[in-house]
Amino acid sequence: MFLQQLINGLTLGSVYALIALGYSMVYGILELINFAHGEIYMLGAYFGIIFFGLFTAIGLTAFSLPLALALTFVLSIMFCASYGFTIEKIAYKPLRNAPRLSPLISAIGVSIFLQNFVMLTQGATDKVFPPLFGTAGFRFLSVQMTYLQLSIIVVSVILMVCLRFFVRKTRMGKAMRAVAQDKVMASLVGINIDTVISVTFLIGSGLAAIAGLMVAMYYGLVNYFIGYVAGIKAFTAAVLGGIGSIRGAMLGGILLGLVESLGGSYISSEYKDAYAFILLIIVLLVKPGGLFGKAELEKV
Amino acid sequence: MLELRKLHTFYGPIEALRGINLEISQSEIVSLIGNNGAGKSTTLMTISGILKPQSGDILFEGKSIRESAPHKIVRMGISQVPEGRRIFPKLTVRENLEMGAFSGRGNTASSFEMVFSLFPVLHERENQLGGTLSGGEQQMLAIARALMSRPKLLLLDEPSLGLAPIIVSKIFKTIKEINREGVTVLLVEQNARAALKLSSRGYVLENGHIPLHGNGAELLNNSNVKKAYLGEQA
Repeated sequence: MFLQQLINGLTLGSVYALIALGYSMVYGILELINFAHGEIYMLGAYFGIIFFGLFTAIGLTAFSLPLALALTFVLSIMFCASYGFTIEKIAYKPLRNAPRLSPLISAIGVSIFLQNFVMLTQGATDKVFPPLFGTAGFRFLSVQMTYLQLSIIVVSVILMVCLRFFVRKTRMGKAMRAVAQDKVMASLVGINIDTVISVTFLIGSGLAAIAGLMVAMYYGLVNYFIGYVAGIKAFTAAVLGGIGSIRGAMLGGILLGLVESLGGSYISSEYKDAYAFILLIIVLLVKPGGLFGKAELEKV
Repeated sequence: MLELRKLHTFYGPIEALRGINLEISQSEIVSLIGNNGAGKSTTLMTISGILKPQSGDILFEGKSIRESAPHKIVRMGISQVPEGRRIFPKLTVRENLEMGAFSGRGNTASSFEMVFSLFPVLHERENQLGGTLSGGEQQMLAIARALMSRPKLLLLDEPSLGLAPIIVSKIFKTIKEINREGVTVLLVEQNARAALKLSSRGYVLENGHIPLHGNGAELLNNSNVKKAYLGEQA
């Protein structure tokens, strides 16, 4: 039972981690809590259903399931990325020099708008993602793991490794870190801040799209409100790990998934949603900056 | 090479520059001296495009750059070493320098060679985080980072601030060396004597005005300058 819950927790945790990355990266660059980020995840799930439904209707799914799935992923990522890009341009960029509360309120506005937009256009009832793999899986050390669970964990790990490589080693990744550390100085060395901010939103939204699509496949049901809860959980994960830290978001997400799943089975599943926040309170009491956040020291 | 014409810039609600005129020719070292709050850093930040002037114009090689974005100004060949050095503390020395070369001016490999021969200590500390360097090393890194974009014009804001005298004289020697390689320098300093000795010409900035300018020796002997900036009795 412990191992079984560990697998469930890891699956859930890798999804939280993917969403948490978007919160943390945007916070690292703009010091903005992008409350609309959970909605991007929700849109990812809807785009998944829409595109996959479309491919099924035109017969592509019957022709080749892997091709239809791959195209669904690619299109959902592209659509969510362009939503993220546009949201930044319309709702945050004009407020970049405004008091910090303004973009935050703007973010809440975008979030409410997107929820209602989806509710009006897609309806308030649950949408179904067709079950593709059922419960097919394998047994390992008396643990039942579905192929879908395994894929979610593997895909998330690959994405996180790629992201880490991108941020540590590439020119654009280093520019992102430079912008996060000192925006004025980054412009003074010739970095275009707007480009870096846009890239951050594109990547964060792409990751959220993948998370949304995988969850739609995992649970099979999607509604316009899923972004709210997932967003708050992922945000908690980001704070838990130390907001602004990429490593923190990854580990915070996985830790949160594990705590929820183990707490749900050993203590009580009724309080499943509370464990995340209990953990958050305990961590912040001991380490206010989060697990990987550090108090900044400045050399004068 | 660079010309400021009747430049007015606000820093927040304060009019920090009240119509300054300044001119720098190719391969000169020009210093801008003045007290705290006179508007020296504002002048440099306006040239670099971080602050936008209210009115007046900035001409670089005959073209107006007052509407240009900061990253484009770097690409044109103006590089700044800001006050307080502003090293990226959590990037390594090497990454700091790579960021200096971000604009893509010149060959990065040969720029690395150039700055490492100018400051061998940076080569030794290549993989250390910028924030762990000493103050003097950070100043060297800041200058080296600015040189990575192969600037035509180098803006230096208080490079001697908070450094031991022996390091200050090394930094000033290096500035002279950089200038000899053909880089034009605009040097902002509170250390007026050292700055004026190094410069061909100087401007005095007071409350956003330039009441006085002339060649370095002239200013060093000017009685008002002596009283106000060199700490001598006239």
